Amino acid sequence: MSNAPKLARCEDVAPLLVFYTCDELTAEERGQIEAHLANCGECRQQLSEEDALHSAIDEMPQPADRLESSGVLLAQCRSELSESLDELSAPKVDEGWQPFGFVRQWMALRPGWSAAALLLVGAIVGTQAFQWLPFSTGASTGSPVNVLAASKISDDQLSKMEVSGVNFSRPGGTIQVQLQAEQPLTLTSGEDDADVRRVLTFVISNSDRFDAGVRLDCVEALRAAAMDPQARGALLAAARRDQNPAVRLKALDALRDVVANADVRDVLLETLQRDPNPGVRVEAVNLLVRSLESSDDAPEALPDVVGPDSSPDGVALPSLPAAGKDSEQRILRALDELRQHDSNRYVRLRSAAALRQIGLQNLQ
Amino acid sequence: MPLFRWGLALADSSGRTSGSNAALATVTSLPSLDERVLVSEAQAGNRAAFEELVRRFDRDVLRLALNLMKRPEDARDVYQEAFLKVYRNLHRFRFECSFYTWLYRIVTNVCLDHLRRRQARPEDQAPEIHPNRMEEGPRDFFDYQKEHRPALDPERTLFGKEIQARISRAMERLSPRERIVFEMKHYQGLKLRAIGDALGTTEETVKNSLFRATRKLRSELAGLR
Repeated sequence: MSNAPKLARCEDVAPLLVFYTCDELTAEERGQIEAHLANCGECRQQLSEEDALHSAIDEMPQPADRLESSGVLLAQCRSELSESLDELSAPKVDEGWQPFGFVRQWMALRPGWSAAALLLVGAIVGTQAFQWLPFSTGASTGSPVNVLAASKISDDQLSKMEVSGVNFSRPGGTIQVQLQAEQPLTLTSGEDDADVRRVLTFVISNSDRFDAGVRLDCVEALRAAAMDPQARGALLAAARRDQNPAVRLKALDALRDVVANADVRDVLLETLQRDPNPGVRVEAVNLLVRSLESSDDAPEALPDVVGPDSSPDGVALPSLPAAGKDSEQRILRALDELRQHDSNRYVRLRSAAALRQIGLQNLQ
Repeated sequence: MPLFRWGLALADSSGRTSGSNAALATVTSLPSLDERVLVSEAQAGNRAAFEELVRRFDRDVLRLALNLMKRPEDARDVYQEAFLKVYRNLHRFRFECSFYTWLYRIVTNVCLDHLRRRQARPEDQAPEIHPNRMEEGPRDFFDYQKEHRPALDPERTLFGKEIQARISRAMERLSPRERIVFEMKHYQGLKLRAIGDALGTTEETVKNSLFRATRKLRSELAGLR
């Protein structure tokens, strides 16, 4: 190892002056440079320039001093970091196995292609798939199905509605029902048959919520639909339970054309026996007579249960047949019961007249 | 050590928002813990220990980021990105160097990425805030009056400001790596060896970067002499 100084020449010393200023040299290097500087004015001048630059750099205000003098930025950074760590620390939601996950991801990234692919698949399925399905191979053998349009009013709306009016247009037979709900609505028969019927039956079935005038209108409006089981059921319920006799009467009248039906006869009999209003009972008598008139299975002879002198007005009554169908038997018995025991004289007379009418009919 | 472990576990389970005195006592005792213990605890999933580590170093990290990026929003991004990287990769730290060096390696890499991105797309970047230029601000009548106090000789002040403005301009022409080396040497006061460790390179390479950076600055100031 030679003792001769390695850094004797200016070209060797000059590049190290930067590090001499920054105190980044070994003690040996520092000693050699200082030995050179003692004899070299040019390198001393260069060193003074390096020192000046170093001082200028040290004196320069740093951006951080100006931008973060208050500590607000540091607080913001800490807060944001804490939030990010919260998100990272939160337990991951276990999504589990997702069927067609790859396809779904692909579709989510390519909406245009996805739409085109779905349309294509839809077209292929629509045109081809039905050929392979068993029910499409031959002529349709199933019973026809009525497809009804979606209802305009929900059950909830129905329960909260008020009916402001039911209008009839006689020439066309059109019915308009005006509803006061959260959103006022007008239903017209023909366009909204199902909804009109629903509203009318709802009004009749909930007699305590709607006034008698509206109920009468609804019964009248349902008259044309008496053949429909739902409408007939509502009319029967009104005839049986409505607290207003005018409505009960109207409901019976609306059932005039369907009196041959067993359920109608049952209600008429019940009315006959239990309705407190004589006018309604008389109407029930009239309809029962009508039901027997229109029925093909009218009794051939009246049963012999009523004595010839038992009539209140002394009219001789035909004997009741010993045999007959149950319903007719029940009608005759009910009429006879009415004839003898009804509290109202007119009802008793009308019952006797009905029995006679039925008897004469059968005699003919 | 078991006592420390118990304390840290309690602090972690009670969380930062806990109001219990016991938890508070353990949280406040965290700053006194050895760095190695804190790192181990953080590696074991102790959030409080990790946050204590952040608090120990984040002031320097933010300062470095601000000096390099010269924009608070960029510095904030660097801060977030760097510490989240630290959090995610903490389990890889094997104590082969100091945590400080490892942390600075991540921070300087994030800064380099940001600076390179900025260089690649200067049109996307908002202008940097230059302290010298901002300090000048709007001048009024009194700024032009002669200063009689010798310490505040306006001529000298003006000359000093000119030098600083030129240094700032020259700094903008440095490469991202030169800029980081220069910053860490002059403003963070790190030794070249530590800078090399932080940048994942040799001391010789860092010396070269510093030498080139200084030469560029000197050439910018040449006309002033």
